[in-house]
Amino acid sequence: MNAFYSLFSAEEFSPLAIVLGMPLLGAFVNGVWGKRLGKEAVKTMALSAMAISFFAALFTFAALNHHVDSSAVEKVVEGHKVVEHEHVKLSWLAWEWMRASGAGGLSAIPIQAKFSVDALSGIMMLVITGIGFLIHLYASNYMETDKGYWRFFAYLNLFVFSMLILVLGDNLPLLFVGWEGVGLCSYLLIGFWYDKLPNAAAGKKAFIANRVGDFGLICAMFLIAHYCGALDWTGIEAGAKSLLSPDMVHVWPFGNAHYDGVFGFLQPKVPLMMTGATAVCACLLLGATGKSAQMPLYVWLPDAMAGPTPVSALIHAATMVTAGIYLICRLNFVFVLAPGVMAVIAGVGAFTALFAATIALVQNDLKKVLAYSTVSQLGFMFLGVGSGSFTAGFFHVLTHAFFKACLFLAAGSVIHAMHARVHDDEKSQDMRMMGGLKKYMPLTYGTFGAATLAIIGFPLTSGFFSKDEILFRSFSNSYQWVDKARAESLKMWMPPAYLGKIYYVMGVLAATLTAFYMCRAFFLTFYGDFKGWKIGKPVAAEGHDEDDHDDHGDDHHHDDLTIPGAAPHESPRPMTIPLIILAALAVFGGLLNPGLAKSLFHLESIPLEHWLEPVFATSMAKGIHEVEHNLSMELMCTAGAFSAFAIGSGLAYWTYIVNNGAPAKQWAAAAPGLHKMLMAKWMVDELYDATAISMVDGLADTFVGADKIVVDGILAQVTSFLAAAFGTAFRAVQNGMVHVYAAAMVVGVAGFSWFFAMPHAEGMIVDKGNGDFIVAAAPGFGYEYKFDDAQKFGATSEKPVHLDLPAADKSDKAKATAPVTKNVVLTVKNVFGIQDTKTFVLVRTPAKDKQMIGQN
Amino acid sequence: MNLFFALSPFLTLALGALLLMVAEAAAAGNGRGEKVRPGLALGAALTCFASCAAAAGVWFYGVERIEGLDVLQPWLIIDRFTLFFAGLLALGGGLASLLAGGYLPEHQIERGEFYALLLFSTLGALILAAAGDVLTLFLGLETMSLGVYALTAFRRASPRSAEAALKYFLLGSFAAALLLFGFALLYGATGHTDLAGLGQAVKTIASGALSGQAAGPTTLGAAAGPLVLFGFILVLAGLVFKVSAVPFHMWTPDAYEGAPTPATSFMAVAVKAGAFAVLLRVLLVCFGDKQSTSWANGWPAVIAWIAVLTMTVANLVAGRQESAKRMLAYSSIAHAGYLLVGVVATSRDGTAGTSGILFYLLGYTVATIGAFGGLILAGHRGAEAVSFEDLAGLGRRHPAAALPFALFLLSLAGVPPTAGFFGKWFILKAAMEGGFSVLTVVAFLNSVLGAYYYLKVLVYLYMREPGAGAPIATPMKSGYVNVALAVSAFFVVLIGLDPSRSLSVATRAAASLFGG
Repeated sequence: MNAFYSLFSAEEFSPLAIVLGMPLLGAFVNGVWGKRLGKEAVKTMALSAMAISFFAALFTFAALNHHVDSSAVEKVVEGHKVVEHEHVKLSWLAWEWMRASGAGGLSAIPIQAKFSVDALSGIMMLVITGIGFLIHLYASNYMETDKGYWRFFAYLNLFVFSMLILVLGDNLPLLFVGWEGVGLCSYLLIGFWYDKLPNAAAGKKAFIANRVGDFGLICAMFLIAHYCGALDWTGIEAGAKSLLSPDMVHVWPFGNAHYDGVFGFLQPKVPLMMTGATAVCACLLLGATGKSAQMPLYVWLPDAMAGPTPVSALIHAATMVTAGIYLICRLNFVFVLAPGVMAVIAGVGAFTALFAATIALVQNDLKKVLAYSTVSQLGFMFLGVGSGSFTAGFFHVLTHAFFKACLFLAAGSVIHAMHARVHDDEKSQDMRMMGGLKKYMPLTYGTFGAATLAIIGFPLTSGFFSKDEILFRSFSNSYQWVDKARAESLKMWMPPAYLGKIYYVMGVLAATLTAFYMCRAFFLTFYGDFKGWKIGKPVAAEGHDEDDHDDHGDDHHHDDLTIPGAAPHESPRPMTIPLIILAALAVFGGLLNPGLAKSLFHLESIPLEHWLEPVFATSMAKGIHEVEHNLSMELMCTAGAFSAFAIGSGLAYWTYIVNNGAPAKQWAAAAPGLHKMLMAKWMVDELYDATAISMVDGLADTFVGADKIVVDGILAQVTSFLAAAFGTAFRAVQNGMVHVYAAAMVVGVAGFSWFFAMPHAEGMIVDKGNGDFIVAAAPGFGYEYKFDDAQKFGATSEKPVHLDLPAADKSDKAKATAPVTKNVVLTVKNVFGIQDTKTFVLVRTPAKDKQMIGQN
Repeated sequence: MNLFFALSPFLTLALGALLLMVAEAAAAGNGRGEKVRPGLALGAALTCFASCAAAAGVWFYGVERIEGLDVLQPWLIIDRFTLFFAGLLALGGGLASLLAGGYLPEHQIERGEFYALLLFSTLGALILAAAGDVLTLFLGLETMSLGVYALTAFRRASPRSAEAALKYFLLGSFAAALLLFGFALLYGATGHTDLAGLGQAVKTIASGALSGQAAGPTTLGAAAGPLVLFGFILVLAGLVFKVSAVPFHMWTPDAYEGAPTPATSFMAVAVKAGAFAVLLRVLLVCFGDKQSTSWANGWPAVIAWIAVLTMTVANLVAGRQESAKRMLAYSSIAHAGYLLVGVVATSRDGTAGTSGILFYLLGYTVATIGAFGGLILAGHRGAEAVSFEDLAGLGRRHPAAALPFALFLLSLAGVPPTAGFFGKWFILKAAMEGGFSVLTVVAFLNSVLGAYYYLKVLVYLYMREPGAGAPIATPMKSGYVNVALAVSAFFVVLIGLDPSRSLSVATRAAASLFGG
């Protein structure tokens, strides 16, 4: 077996080409010929592409594991045996993407199309291909009746390809290609049913919100190239030190520009500066908030539920939205250099977690609840990585991928069944129309339930361990890991130590709300009586759309739906198998990293943490300061997390099972204002409408006005006149007359002759400091030079000049600072004996002298 | 044997051309006085590709390892620069023959001499690129040009074609006379006809060391300076005529429009590339000294002005054309302007500038052949697509014909990730790093201007419908053209996605010009 893994060396690990290539092939084949191939072929292509990719990924992962094992070294630290292994990376250089010839500048940073897999990206790769395969399988049935079947799978495969590029790319530009690729696929899939206006609008919204984030990512790339002199992970890590150099980023005035015009008051006395690390991390954070739907750029994600449900599961829950967290984990060694930004990340995460959870409390659309829940859970991940525990944050990425994908797919199964009865997009997602589905869809019920247990943090499920770890880390983190003296010399803002405690409280509150709204969704959907009997079809007389999902219950097409009809069905096997696998992972996935067990039973190491150790080794070595691993503190934090689960779910049980929803109505009646705000999602969309969007609209209106007057009126008239005049003049010359053409050539030759016959006395002044100057004449063909009043021309083209300052006269300050000037006259003679002269003025200012001395 | 190996790109072409002539002469009639010419186009294309492969073979074998090339000195220089151009020119010639193989039968003007002329012309361009002596240079130039004159006049029934050819011929002779006179003056002043020797002598004269002295390469003494200068002016004029730079460009639109489209594409790529090869060699080998490359007083300033004029005039006029073919003619003038920016950059960093030019020519060759091929494909017998109107709505009716056309136009406009983008990027970067920032900005603005007329074609292809009663273009069907388009598209995308490999080849070729 070992020999089998050693087939490919770590530097040329070409199986990555299969992992990446299969989804691309699938996308290509289905995209180009899909329409003609027919459904079966499209399905076979897409699924086999994913399956092969997944097996190649498994092989890659096993090989990675093999290489990690062979690098392991046993050490004895404080009496314990500790196994340490290196940061192993399997890479594959596809080709050298961009390299310019020449020296310096961009030529020094070649960009390679190189892919690599290490402990971190290995897990992501497995999640993307593995869960990706399950969701493809599910979708092959879910989308059965859609006429855009081939288009759907082409997009979905393309998405997987882009996501793999994002994760496996060995440098930032490549990650950016993937980043944009998944953005594009997300746009295409959100707007998959593009003939419906809201869907198309949701796609656009996602695209635009992401552009804001991408701007940040691009800026970060430029800054990193400037500071670290590299864009690949190894190079950035090696050059990360210079991010804390005294060469700081001038934020305002931008680029340290000096300005004293009318708006001079905008120029501060002390320029606002930040370290390179802070600037880079702030820009990266902007990028991450866009992709990972955090405040203030989260608004696109809830709307993105307009896409087909498998898309929501794959893109907007399991993979793409975690790209921001992946980016932070990937560049952890950069982020630890900016504790201020880390505190902001954690803060953004905690606030988003809480904020989104409040909105999820009152949503009636099942998918909307899950969407806000995703935003909220992503907030938890941000809280984790922001608290300096990249492992905890990443662990939550993993567990969330399991349980949220399961939840979305189960919700899709419910919607599928509801749609078969209701034939109405909105009503089939409305939880008020469901209820009692436990009886009809036992498998969906079971898997949805298992995933719900995980997300609300039922003890020993995956969500329990990952959320507990995040809360503990945020509580114990103090943000004080950068040396105080250094931080002061760089004027870095050090976050106060109590921030962690505040974030912990916010996190526990958010977890309580999570438990409540998830249980509410679960109870409303599966318990009680099925309310779907009484839904009337909106226009009962009308025929069905061709593309409706009406593969079940053909008999009730012409029924009056206000009377009982066929009961909802359980979904077919291709849809339930992924559900079962994901539910199992959601329940047992926590065993990968049971942080609490480690402390309780004094385990040497737990799998995931141990596995990821080398990835985060550098930043951990920077000494993210934690309170001594304190069991009582950890237990206390766990108690908080557990009580969040107990209170939230208990309250939901009491409200929706015991009292059948009555208390919820009472609360809404008791605080109508709050309820209204929650229903309106805190009016954030309206806020954006009123501020940013109306501003842009206003700007656009202004420009339209300006466009009409200035561009269409003046500019267009002038340029079209000029172009016409030019064209007319030119046509007069380009008249087909050969002697005119020849004349133009003669004019050209005459121009050449004139240029070469007339000498050009050009040159430059080289200021060598301290009053030494050199006047260097530009060389020319057969030129001879004469400076000032010299008698004869000579071949020497340079003349050194020294300017003395007047004798020091302390009494006359004006004289001491007055510049000294001198004229030098250059005369040149060319081979035709024609001469030309030019006067150079040399200026020496005492003030500048001082500056130059200072620089030397 | 070594010699044969080193010269195989040339010999292949010459042999192929001769065989084609024999084959044409021996071709059987079909009984109606028409000859059946099976596969002449294929033969021509294969000859060119074989020549291209031979060049690649010599390149990979390592031209430095071949001994006994001194015999060729100073007439022909076989170095990596030559081999690069040999490959490039043969590729251009081969693709043009493929286009001809589809175009000529479709428009019923296929006669065997077209391919022979094309091959001899390609051979001339190869000799031009390899020339190390003024005599071979002129020989190559005329071999190339005479073939092209004849190709321009190939459509005998069309008075327009004849007029274009005559104009081209007259002005070309004028330029050749200037060039020849220039070389005569240079020979008179220095006593050299080989480029290397010329370079040495010019260097001595340029540094002013001869002023007031009687000794020197010749007995002219101080009078040598003016002679060299005038000689240089005339040589420069002759060469920029061939690259069709403003104001020596006026023959171009007429000749390009009058010639059959495959011949036009050949002129736009092979003739231009050959002219740039010789321009670079003459400027950098003969006039590469400090005085001649001085920004204030040497050729860079002149070339920069020509480049600015060429780009601006060509782009402005191209935007006002109604004929897509004429637009492409002006576009090729504009590209000569961008390339001249690269020539200016060579005066500071020879390798970077030259490699930029070589890379650009590679991308330009395949994209231009492709664009003309797209135009050819859009028309059919009796209804050749020429104007923008002819292309209206093609993208909707025949997406397979319009898509490659669009790709090539995007590459010409310099849209990433195509070859054209990186070509522009390397040239602008070389110019920027050479300190020619104003020139870079002008070139950049011009490429924005250029995007206008390339996108105009896309607008017609995809967003317009033919007017009422207007003839609706139906694409012709030809395997030859399809293959040419596929090969070009492959290169356009490949070079765009993996520019480093091509650039390293171009850099090695460029370095050999400087003895590297």
